Amino acid sequence: MTEASNTTFGVALALYLVAMIGYLHNFAYRRPAPLAAARVVAYLGLAAHAASVVLRGLAAGRVPWGNMYEYASVVGLAIVAVYLLVVERRVEARRLGGFVLGATVLIMAASTMVYVEPGPLIPALNSGWLRVHVLAAIVSSALFTLGFVFTVLYLIQDRRERRVERGAEQRAPAMASASVGSGLPHDLAVESDPQEGRATVTLGPERGNGHGGMPGRPTRRGRLPTSAALDDLAAKAITFAFPLWTFAVVAGAIWAEQAWGRYWGWDPKEVWSFVTWVLFAGYLHARATQGWRGRRAAVIAVLGFAALLFNLIVVNLVVSGLHSYAGV
Amino acid sequence: MATGSFTRGMRSVWRSLRSMRTALILLLLLGLGSVVGSLVPQAPSSPARVAQLFADRPLLARVYDALGFFDVYGSWWFTLLYVLLLISLAACLIPRTRGLVRGMAARWQPARDLEGMRHFASGRVEGSPQEAVGRARRALRRRGWGVRSGGQTALAAEKGLAREVGSLAFHWAFFLLLIGVVIGRGFGFTGQATVIEGEVFTEAHASYDFPPREGRFFDEAHRGFQVRVLDFEVSYRESGLPRDFVSRVEVIEEGEVVRTEEIRVNHPLGHRGVKLYQSGYGWAPMVEVRHEGELLASDPLVFVTDDPNDALRPWRGAIKLPGLAPQVGLELQLLPDPAAFVAGRPMLEARDPFLAYRAFRGDLQLTEAQSVFRLEKERLEEYDSGGVALGETVELPGGLEVTFRDLRQYTQLLVKRDPGTGLMLATAVLVLVGLIPALYSSRRRIWVRAMPEGDGTRLEIGGFALQRKGAFDEEFGRLVRDLVPRGRVGVP
Repeated sequence: MTEASNTTFGVALALYLVAMIGYLHNFAYRRPAPLAAARVVAYLGLAAHAASVVLRGLAAGRVPWGNMYEYASVVGLAIVAVYLLVVERRVEARRLGGFVLGATVLIMAASTMVYVEPGPLIPALNSGWLRVHVLAAIVSSALFTLGFVFTVLYLIQDRRERRVERGAEQRAPAMASASVGSGLPHDLAVESDPQEGRATVTLGPERGNGHGGMPGRPTRRGRLPTSAALDDLAAKAITFAFPLWTFAVVAGAIWAEQAWGRYWGWDPKEVWSFVTWVLFAGYLHARATQGWRGRRAAVIAVLGFAALLFNLIVVNLVVSGLHSYAGV
Repeated sequence: MATGSFTRGMRSVWRSLRSMRTALILLLLLGLGSVVGSLVPQAPSSPARVAQLFADRPLLARVYDALGFFDVYGSWWFTLLYVLLLISLAACLIPRTRGLVRGMAARWQPARDLEGMRHFASGRVEGSPQEAVGRARRALRRRGWGVRSGGQTALAAEKGLAREVGSLAFHWAFFLLLIGVVIGRGFGFTGQATVIEGEVFTEAHASYDFPPREGRFFDEAHRGFQVRVLDFEVSYRESGLPRDFVSRVEVIEEGEVVRTEEIRVNHPLGHRGVKLYQSGYGWAPMVEVRHEGELLASDPLVFVTDDPNDALRPWRGAIKLPGLAPQVGLELQLLPDPAAFVAGRPMLEARDPFLAYRAFRGDLQLTEAQSVFRLEKERLEEYDSGGVALGETVELPGGLEVTFRDLRQYTQLLVKRDPGTGLMLATAVLVLVGLIPALYSSRRRIWVRAMPEGDGTRLEIGGFALQRKGAFDEEFGRLVRDLVPRGRVGVP
């Protein structure tokens, strides 16, 4: 059973990698065939991954999220499931599959470094709350990870859009005086495609002055959805994650009261979930505040994700605390 | 002059406390403070690591100490931030709540500039303006809009009030949650009790292992009930991993047994507002010591281990006999399972337990504070060593007889009273319940105005959404189609 779980895990990882390449190929060259194939492969990977998790649970005789390896694996599963089944229903999000799967592959590959054989849990972990508390933490972590991927892409796209805007402003007078190839590094043109909700930037296509990559074609970095669409995707993911994370913390507090006799003891794990919570609360407030939405809010979201990662990796492996007996 | 600038200063502090941004920054600072607490060793939980830091890097340790970093959660600045956060939260929530209540009671002015709104449509419908507005009113109510005001030929409606209500519920619940923490800390207590199988623990200040941590406002007497530990059991899996720890106890009130219960990990026992948690265990050998036929000691002794997770180690304890001249001290080591010990396997159960001793005589220095588990050996000299198996007696030089009579276990119980937990649970639930509409619903408003046009009516509809504006585009379109069914719709 354990072997079957590990095999399907490996199969899922390989399929995700193949799907990631397909998605990225489509992202770069816009051919529909690799995208269709990538989606099929991604679904197959998801099925293999789900099988791996179920087999793991059967092998251990309990829910399959009792240690760090299992936790990371199920986070990966949740990321891909949410992406394929929910996020991809927005057509423009299909171009982002490569990045989402890339993040998942990283998480899964890293999880093999803390692999342990399936086994029973110590008495303190043996509680119905394990199911609820950890599952909520897993699903919200997956959503926060999606939010993080979209936020980073947003920051990249937003920067580019600003540069393009500045470029367009600067170019207007240059065009008027008909001075071709003025001091600008590139000649840029913007086409917006409202139906797909994206902007495409072309690098010096008409003149072909030797600066750009492929004349007449959008540059590679011009294939992202608009910054507004990316910001919206990130906000949706984080807005769903936040109440779930709150629930995970509350459930953890109820469990801690039962197991350790206190609902909150500033254990390192508790501290960092609190910090994560505060940062994402800050993100949600920033988005509702004029002058803070956009880049500033995005930076807060990135910090929140950093706190989430710190809690998962550093607190589990380095800092000692009550949660550290969850072990690797 | 001075008072004037002081008042002005206070007023500006108050103004900044009233801003949600200040509350957020205070919350963030609390988060930062707790990060310090998670990275720097904390004196209340790990005093040894603090002492180590003082030894290794005295300058850094002194700086940390001065900043309160060794007890972040008890430091003055953490408390200050906490109090400021409470004040700031209340200061932003009170006006917001008042605004909501007033807004709900108030009737709206009919809007004048419908065309200037983000969404506007107009069209021709049948019937008189009064009939048209009546139809619109019914249609909006059917769709769950709260029609707030109007008249014969105009109306105003709102939807999504749940967002503000939910948001306020969430924030107030969070405020109460912070208060609940203070109540729990201030009015409760935490203590630890070590009870040997067969013995009775009385829930009173003096019977804890060390003075219980009592809240600043805890003035109540302790509950006074008693707990007899019938037995303690730890079961193991084949791998040697513990499966469960169970203390079977009787609760005794005024000499009568009122309940018989099990206390296990994750299943505390609650009695009269006090909760008892399984928190530790160990061995308690019963050793009888006789000197010339006189019984000097017979109580079971609590033994400790330096690492409870390492069952390869022997357990240790001590017997001190100050009544003899010279004084005698016995340093004892217990091997619950000597065969396993020799084989290097963990000693999980008692199998032919064996007690090793080293006997010392001289001055025990009992006038100094010392551990009950070890001897202060400076003024002692060792005069014998050996061992004794369960049920056997050994005679030491000088006429001392040591009998290993029985081997019992003891259980360690965490005893806790926290009157804030009920409030905590209620507010935590409210935090979650309030959060959902606060995040997912959106407030939107709509105005309808009707005026006669020919033999029919011209209906004008304007509105806007405060959140999720994109989604309102569609909703507004559907509404307009509903209100102006066959009429010509003109969108400017």
